[in-house]
Amino acid sequence: MVKLTRRSLMKLGVACAAVLAGAERALGQGLALTGTLKLVDGGMDFSPVTGKERKIVPSACWQCVARDAILCYVEDGKLVKIEGNPESIRNRGKICAKGQAGLNQVYDPDRILYPMKRVGKRGDGEWKRVSWDEALDEVTARLKALLDEGHPEKFMFHYGRMKGSDSKIVKDAFLKAYGTGTVGNHTSICEAAKWTAQELTWGKHYDVNDVEHANMILNFGCNIMEAHTSHLQLSQRTIGAVADRGVKLVTFDVRLSNTGAKSDEWIPIKPGTDGAVILAMANVVMDEGLYDADFIDTWTNVSVAELTDHLRQYTPEWAEGISGVPASKIRSLAIEYANAKPGTLVSYRGAVAHYNGVDTERAAKMLDAILGYIDVRGGTCRGVGAKWKYPKVSGSTAKLKILDGLEGDAALPTHHISHRVLDAIKEGSHGRPDVYMTYCYEPVYANGDVQENIDILKDESLIPYHVSINPFYTESSALADIILPDVTYLERWSWDDMVSYDMIPEFYIRQPVLPAPGATRQFQDVCCELATRLGLELGFESAEDFIRQSCEKSGLDFGYMTSHGVWHDADAKPKYKAYAKELTPEDYTGEKILFDEATGVYWDWTKSKAKTKEEAEEKGYTAMKYAYKGYVGQKIGDKVYAGFKPDKLNKSGFFEISSDFMAKKGFSALPTFMAIPEHEAMGADDLILTTYKVNVQIHTRSQNCKWLTEIYHSNPAWINPATAAKKGIADGDRIRVTSPIGEIVTTARVTDAVHPQVIAISHHLGHFEYGEFASGNKAATGHECVPDCHNKWWSEVGVHPNWIIPNAPDPVAGQLRFNDTVVQVTKA
Amino acid sequence: MAVTRKRGWIRMAKKEEKVRAPDVEVEDRGLTRRDVLKMGGAAALAVAAASVPKDAALAQAKQAAGRRLAMVIDTERCTGCHACAVACKAEYDVPLGVWRSWVVAEDRGQFPDARRVFLPRLCNQCDNPPCVPVCPTGATIQREDGAVTINEADCIGCGRCVAACPYDARYLNPDSEMAQKCDFCVHRIDQGVTPACVNTCPANARIFGDVNDSNSDVSALAGGASVRVLKPELGTDPQVFYIATEELPEGDLPR
Repeated sequence: MVKLTRRSLMKLGVACAAVLAGAERALGQGLALTGTLKLVDGGMDFSPVTGKERKIVPSACWQCVARDAILCYVEDGKLVKIEGNPESIRNRGKICAKGQAGLNQVYDPDRILYPMKRVGKRGDGEWKRVSWDEALDEVTARLKALLDEGHPEKFMFHYGRMKGSDSKIVKDAFLKAYGTGTVGNHTSICEAAKWTAQELTWGKHYDVNDVEHANMILNFGCNIMEAHTSHLQLSQRTIGAVADRGVKLVTFDVRLSNTGAKSDEWIPIKPGTDGAVILAMANVVMDEGLYDADFIDTWTNVSVAELTDHLRQYTPEWAEGISGVPASKIRSLAIEYANAKPGTLVSYRGAVAHYNGVDTERAAKMLDAILGYIDVRGGTCRGVGAKWKYPKVSGSTAKLKILDGLEGDAALPTHHISHRVLDAIKEGSHGRPDVYMTYCYEPVYANGDVQENIDILKDESLIPYHVSINPFYTESSALADIILPDVTYLERWSWDDMVSYDMIPEFYIRQPVLPAPGATRQFQDVCCELATRLGLELGFESAEDFIRQSCEKSGLDFGYMTSHGVWHDADAKPKYKAYAKELTPEDYTGEKILFDEATGVYWDWTKSKAKTKEEAEEKGYTAMKYAYKGYVGQKIGDKVYAGFKPDKLNKSGFFEISSDFMAKKGFSALPTFMAIPEHEAMGADDLILTTYKVNVQIHTRSQNCKWLTEIYHSNPAWINPATAAKKGIADGDRIRVTSPIGEIVTTARVTDAVHPQVIAISHHLGHFEYGEFASGNKAATGHECVPDCHNKWWSEVGVHPNWIIPNAPDPVAGQLRFNDTVVQVTKA
Repeated sequence: MAVTRKRGWIRMAKKEEKVRAPDVEVEDRGLTRRDVLKMGGAAALAVAAASVPKDAALAQAKQAAGRRLAMVIDTERCTGCHACAVACKAEYDVPLGVWRSWVVAEDRGQFPDARRVFLPRLCNQCDNPPCVPVCPTGATIQREDGAVTINEADCIGCGRCVAACPYDARYLNPDSEMAQKCDFCVHRIDQGVTPACVNTCPANARIFGDVNDSNSDVSALAGGASVRVLKPELGTDPQVFYIATEELPEGDLPR
């Protein structure tokens, strides 16, 4: 029924819809208001009580990584409302529920307002308030001692979310000046497999699905409508494409997410088998002769014959046996997708957080490549973000070899294996940090195997000194020796650079909407003070100064940025097909440029870490690890093109469907299907645990937001009725879920919206710290009831599935295999 | 604890008075979505071109002769994201436990043909509002433009309007003990800006305007073939219209 309406709408109303789309862009709201009643869609707000206009401070969201542009409304010195910034070409005046609830972060009753020092045993929850001077004296002394010993690498800095200027100040300035490269991140618990696969294929990561102009959208394991690295940009354009233009959206997922619900078809799939279906679709494309021979021949490093030969084994019938998706469905969708011209394939953690995630993503990019859907309008494009210029610091760093987990964890962990860092510290063969500083990073809660994370962080013989930079009393800051209270994103100075789905870069900033409360300080400012105390030169005085200097260097007016929040070049055109740009001889000739016969690559040897031209010539482009940094262009025929700029894991300017890097590590050069060992061995009654995100929570750091947790504070385990019946489980029953590393007890939600071999538990809940709204426990560092506290009407906190998910990395990228765990489910 | 008791009383009172009945489609006024798009296209462009000075907007709102504010919610666009619900919480600083705007989701169908429908809820701004006559002090009024609003200074918190509303749209503020509900953000409309929920809706699922103006999108859409209202049989004549190809879910508050 839904389809029919959309179809007829498309058929009948295409012209009008196109007109509307134009209007929507101009107005930011489209159908909002017509006729004689004229209203603007945002850009001002008024008190419903006094009618007084509220003051606007433009800034940027930071609830999740999407980092949308916002307008913050202030009334009598209080932040009262947040809306999307209508001037933003990315989020177009819209924000999601999480963004709306941003003010809950500011007024959290459990915020840490002063530096706190542990007084009891680590983890006992006994703290005393100290001054910043006392706190920084202590931290400086520790850091100074390591410098004096000549071991700056024993200072490990581990961050979770740190982007834009926040990262440049901390990582590229302060930590670089200090000399430590022992800097951990969190990408392996997100989508490392996806990024590594893209680096193997077309160089640098961050794909943009240009759904707004696509004629069909294939979605493998991405919850577009609820969570994505560019959530709101993608979701609003997707629902617009579906509703306005009747674009077909097909979602493969183990559960019916809200994305599945808004799709023309939801196709339940056995976990970890997305790659098989994608390979079979590619098989159909080759078999039916629907491929783009020109793109394959010109821009990839394989031939049509090679591809046909390789894909012959992956028939739809073969994929049906593995995935449970009917062969006829795979075939018909492949043909429809091939004829969409263009379409775009969206993938995310549902598809890649598996043992075989890298090859699933490589197969996904291959499918779009053989159809010529790469970097074209309506296809799968390379992200375009703002290129800020900023103050730079020189220096060299040393690091402990603990960032990639344990020996043999993964072959090509280009994004490190953050969830195995604590294991590597425990194992100890590559040394241990004397100072472990965590910033916006919650290793206890966010990684798998929660108990192990706790045990290691608690152990002072393994981690002698843990500094937590945190506005909140989290499970991880509870295991710190000292807590430095950071500001929230609404009291912070930064610039940001998230990719734009309009394919035009948008520059935007974050500025304090309110003064920092209590003694809280933006950590980037603390870095400046630590640098001064340690005698290090950074070249800027504060985060605000860094932003001012960055604006100046980037040719932006600081005053304009603080009053508008965003800027883009109004004359800029969307950047499609950047690879096809032809270079002029001036671009690829000169003293510094060498030509590599084997790959056809022109490269600048001075950027390659070679000491002399002779050394570069002798070793050659392919043999030199950092030669890719000097890539200039790719010779194809008698012309030289910009090509696909290579990164760490590929060398040529071609779209590398076939990977030498994979082959050298013993994997298939061409994308293939790797069966998941645990799934091969699972018993008939076993289930596969899947975790997922919902639209009103981010993974770890939103449950303290009262308006979000009021909506979502219960996460029963989804189980299919047929499966539940076999196990004698009824809706609402208490059930025990047992994995190889432990068990949890939760409540069953018997639902038709999940695959029969799956048990699905969202990974947002079950906090045991993070304050009253998140966990029901007041912070041990202090609690001050906000006016609304006494109205809290729920006591549930939900259940965290990570207690029973092992910290298993995938063998290529080291991605945490969140969706692979085999479990037994019984009535509790 | 007093607060809890008060809520219980409201709920009981409502149970006695409320009659739940299946939703019925309103009469088809013969417009297709194609017609609607046609009209909307031209008109939306006109709006895009015009900027609205605040004073002019205010003047417009005041001279609202014959105007009838209404909202159309396209449930086919709605992704159930709750942005509207939270935007409303912020706009009015709505306390925990009560809602002016919320979203209901309902799963339907059997595996593998499972599906989910969404229903954003708010005050229906009825043309025949049952909450107005029961108010003993005249605190609840219907404005000339149809918006049903509450003058809190006159509210004595008796709860009769809360019980009279067949849509669960009203509540007594647990702190101030006054009756409250969605009022279409008249404080924004009167200043020339869209309601908070319309402003934030990432799916552009909410269409707001003057339903009496035949040139408005809202009037064209409200007459569409697949438009429904909640509990039409009660004769309340809701002015919140839902575009939905299947029956609307029974909406409960999110708890």
